[in-house]
Order: sequence, then structure tokens, then C-alpha cells
Amino acid sequence: MSDAFAVNVEDVSKSFGAFKALNGVTLRVRQGEIYGLLGPNGAGKTTIIRLVCGLLEAHAGTVTVLGRRMPNVGVLRHIGYMTQQAALYPAISVEENVRFFAAINGAEEGVREALELVQLYDRRGSVVSTLSGGMRQRCSLACALVHRPELLLLDEPTVGIDPQLRVQFWDYFRRMAAQGTTLIVSSHVMDEADRCQRLGLIQYGRLLAEGSPADIRSQGGSQNLEEAFLALAGRKES
Amino acid sequence: MSGRRVRAITRRLLQGFRRDRRTVALLFVAPIVILGLLGYLMRGSTSAPAVGIANQDSGPLGAIVADTLRHSTRISTSDISATDGDAKLRDGSLVAYILFPSNFSQQAQSGSVAPEVHLEGSQPGEDSPVIQALQQSMISLASQVAGRSIRFEPSVKYLYGGASYDTLDYFGAAFVGLIVFFLVFVITIVSFLNERSQGTLERLMASPLRRGEIVLGYMLGFTVLALVQAAEVLVFALAVLRIQNHGNVFLIFGMEALMAIAAVNLGIFLSMFARSEFQAVQFIPLVIVPQVLLSGIIFPVSTEPTALQYVSDVLPLTYAVNGMRDIMVKGADLSWSALQLDAAVVAGFCILLIAAGTTTLRRRLG
Repeated sequence: MSDAFAVNVEDVSKSFGAFKALNGVTLRVRQGEIYGLLGPNGAGKTTIIRLVCGLLEAHAGTVTVLGRRMPNVGVLRHIGYMTQQAALYPAISVEENVRFFAAINGAEEGVREALELVQLYDRRGSVVSTLSGGMRQRCSLACALVHRPELLLLDEPTVGIDPQLRVQFWDYFRRMAAQGTTLIVSSHVMDEADRCQRLGLIQYGRLLAEGSPADIRSQGGSQNLEEAFLALAGRKES
Repeated sequence: MSGRRVRAITRRLLQGFRRDRRTVALLFVAPIVILGLLGYLMRGSTSAPAVGIANQDSGPLGAIVADTLRHSTRISTSDISATDGDAKLRDGSLVAYILFPSNFSQQAQSGSVAPEVHLEGSQPGEDSPVIQALQQSMISLASQVAGRSIRFEPSVKYLYGGASYDTLDYFGAAFVGLIVFFLVFVITIVSFLNERSQGTLERLMASPLRRGEIVLGYMLGFTVLALVQAAEVLVFALAVLRIQNHGNVFLIFGMEALMAIAAVNLGIFLSMFARSEFQAVQFIPLVIVPQVLLSGIIFPVSTEPTALQYVSDVLPLTYAVNGMRDIMVKGADLSWSALQLDAAVVAGFCILLIAAGTTTLRRRLG
């Protein structure tokens, strides 16, 4: 790979009509790291993720993923995308859902492993519409990683799930990163930020700060990440 | 029972509609369009059936009756030679022709006339104005043969159908295809919309799937369902309802399959323009009802007001319905140019819709 970064977002702007969702954002994600996209609702986190997986095209700037300029259909095989809502087919079983997403990525051999990873192997025959919210979220994660992507995009994966499951999810994420998978996790929950190796703070479509949780703390001048974030956000505004 | 709580529900309902302009427009525009169309169709179709007259009478009476027929308001006549008659019925330029045999005058003298009435026969109800006009014109005969009452015993021959051919046979042939078209359309549009609303389409778009693969996969899946349904409908129509069929069953099935494929792709295409299942269902009165009225299922296209005939000519369902009737009522096979045209138009429409569906399914959803 010519690029040392798995994801390279260079001075990207994107508008929806008159609304400027992103305004000259630059961020780089190293291979095998867990990168946290942090910011309030509507800050532009989802837009960045959708640009990275080629669902959107930037108006200005470039997005490079795994060495290829996006949008690029060839790269999609190596990307896993877990959408904000658990996007699944409710009328078919857990295993049928996972098998479907495996098949469209040409990787049906990974089904069992993915189901075991999210601890749904015993419930594989259950129809998705009968599952609890947490199980759906787990099934959705299994669908996103069944083809062992090199880059996993997780759009607020822990929203609406209980603390126990959240701990479990972060355990999966760390195991995958250890195996060389690059993860981008968006969140507006500050206590999750500490679990990331590096953070990008987003507000009003701009990158406020970037660095390890420790860097952010010192930049914001507070030991509390949330306070540091608010300090950085306020500084930018004034 | 609290009036305030009831009012809250009523108000909330109306507030929702206020923002869904499309639904409001449909609520008030669709009935006018549909009723107006129906009125125009029924009042506007004044064209009298085209009837040919072949007079072979060696005596004078045939010419007299023929002349009375020419002035009849019920039918519009033209003179033809007897040998052309069947060909003109077949190509649709005549719905009937009346033949006065060479001994017609002699028959009249002997008190019983038997003109031949040749009917195309595929449209029930078209024969009665012809018989009535002929019967009326016989009055002119009575004044010629004074003092005798003449019995009127026309010999009626059908090119298609026959005396046992009834309304169900006529409508059945069209409905066998229409039912499949309609149901497959509804199922496709709703499930493709689900794909959008449940977020899975976004996932598919972020996968290596190509747009064409999605459309084709959908098409195959629903076509399998539709074919099973088409087979069931066909068996029920032929074995239980005993709808007359003079054509090849596999040809009917093929036509049904083409209609199903068209319906699937129409569903995919139109689902792009609906934001909710509610809006998707609105396409039924907008897309399906005018097609049902104008495709010749109920009112033959040839009897429509001219302006509407142009509309009918560009509706795919017109060709599908015509093809189904040609096969089942007339026993058409693929050597018939009329059926070739019908099948080609429906197939062409399928291809057009596949292309349109694929194009509208943008990779970029934003």
C-alpha cells in the first residue's frame, strides 16, 4: 500500500443544498487503529462516514481509502459499514441476514465466526423482528464484519444499548484492531472517547481538534474529556 | 368520552395531511380525474361499429335493404366484396359484415329472408347493434313485397368466440394478465420501499453490489413469485371458471410472465418517488386506474373518443391486454404480426423500465 494511512480525508467540503455539512475537514486514520469521531448530533460525523464508504461524493477535497480515491466500487469489498439504525431484514432469521451480507461481499465462509463473535450463534435461527434491540444491534455488527473488512465504519454503534453490551462491543472492537482492522467509530458519548486510540472532534462541519485522548485533554486544558471538548468548542466559536 | 381528547386526535390527523401536500392533492384531484375520464369514455364514445355490406342479390331487393342500412345511425357501413369479408374482420377494420345471398329477392317473395351476418365476435355486445340495424332495415322490404309478412331469419356466423362466448370470456382473457400485473406491482413497490426505509438499501449501496445487480435480483425474485401466481390464476380461469381459450396455454403464460416483469420494474422505478408506504399505495389510483380504464379492458380502444385513443396507444397495458385476447379468444400464435407487436411492445417496456429503475437507483443517496 502506497499510503501509510488507511483513510485520508483531505480538505473535504460537502453541502446539502444551502446547508454546509462539512467545511474543509482534514483527518487521517492509521491502519489498525480505533479512530473516534466525536461531536454533537448534526456535527457531520455521519456525513464523513458516508463519504468514506462512497455513498456521498465530496464537493471539494479528496477522500482516499486503502490507497484508492473514493468513490471507488473496488474498495467497497474491503469496507464494512454498520449504519446508525440496525439496518436488517426483519422477516428473515439472524443467520439468513448475516449470510446475505456475506454473499454480496463474496465471503460466505465467515458466517459462523461472525455469529460467534457477537454471541448470536445460538440464536441464529431467530427471526430478526422477534429480537430485542441489543440483539439486533449485535446482528447488525455481525453483518458489517462478516466479510472481514480491512476498514470497519461504525456509525454510533453503541447508541441505545445497555452498559454491559457496550463493554462487550468495545471488546470486539479492540480484538479486531489487534488483528489489523482499522475502525472508525462515531459517537457523541464522551466516555467512549477514552477507549479510542485517536480522536477527531467535529462541530459545525469542522474538525476542532485531533489527537489521542491525552492530547485532547491537554489541548482543552482539562482532565475531563467532556470539559476539554466544550473548552475547545467554545474557543473556536469566539 | 372527552370531546377535547377526540378533538386532539382529529386535529393531529389533519395537521399531518396539511404537510403531506401530495396526499391532499391526490385526495382531491384523483376523483375528478378518474370520474372525468370515465364520463368522457362513456359519453364521448359515439363511434358506430364498422359494418361491411356485400350484396350478391340478383334481384332488386338486396340493394334496397342495403341502402336502408347505409342510412342507419346505429352502424357505419361500407360496401365490400364477399370474399374480402373475413380478412377485414381479422385485421379489425370491420366488426361485422352482412351478406345478401344471390337468391335474396326470391327468398323475400317466398316469405322468409336469411341474410348472412358475419361477426368478428371477440367483443360481446358489438353484435346487437348490427342485428338491430338489419332488423329495422327489413321494414323497407315489407313495403316492396306488399301484403305479405316476411320472416327474418338471419344466419349468424362468428369468426371468433361463438354463440356460447360470454362477457366473462371477454373480460377473463384480460383479467388473467391484469391480476398478476396489479398484485406484483403492489408487492414490489412496497418491499422496495421497505428496503429504503429500514436502511438496508444504504448498506447495499456501501457494498460491492452494482445497481444493475440489485434490480436484476429483485426482478428474478418477484418474477418467480409472479410466475407461480400466474400459473395458479391461469389454471383457475381455465379449469374452474372455464373461460374460453383457443390459444396455446404456454403462450398465455409467456405473456403473463412479460406483464409480471413489467410490473416488477414499474414497482422498483416508482418506489423511488415514494417516501412512505402510504405514498406508494397512492400510485394505485394514479398509475393503475387510468391504465385499467384506457387499456381496452372494459371499453374497447376502437370505441374511445379519438383523443383518448392516442393515450391508449402509448400505454403498455393496452398491448398486453390485446395480446392476451388475441391468444385466448382468437387463438393467435407467434406467427401473427399483431401478437408479435403486442409482445414486442410489452418486452420493450420492460427493458425501458429496467433501465429507468437502474438509473434512478443512485449510488449516491444523499
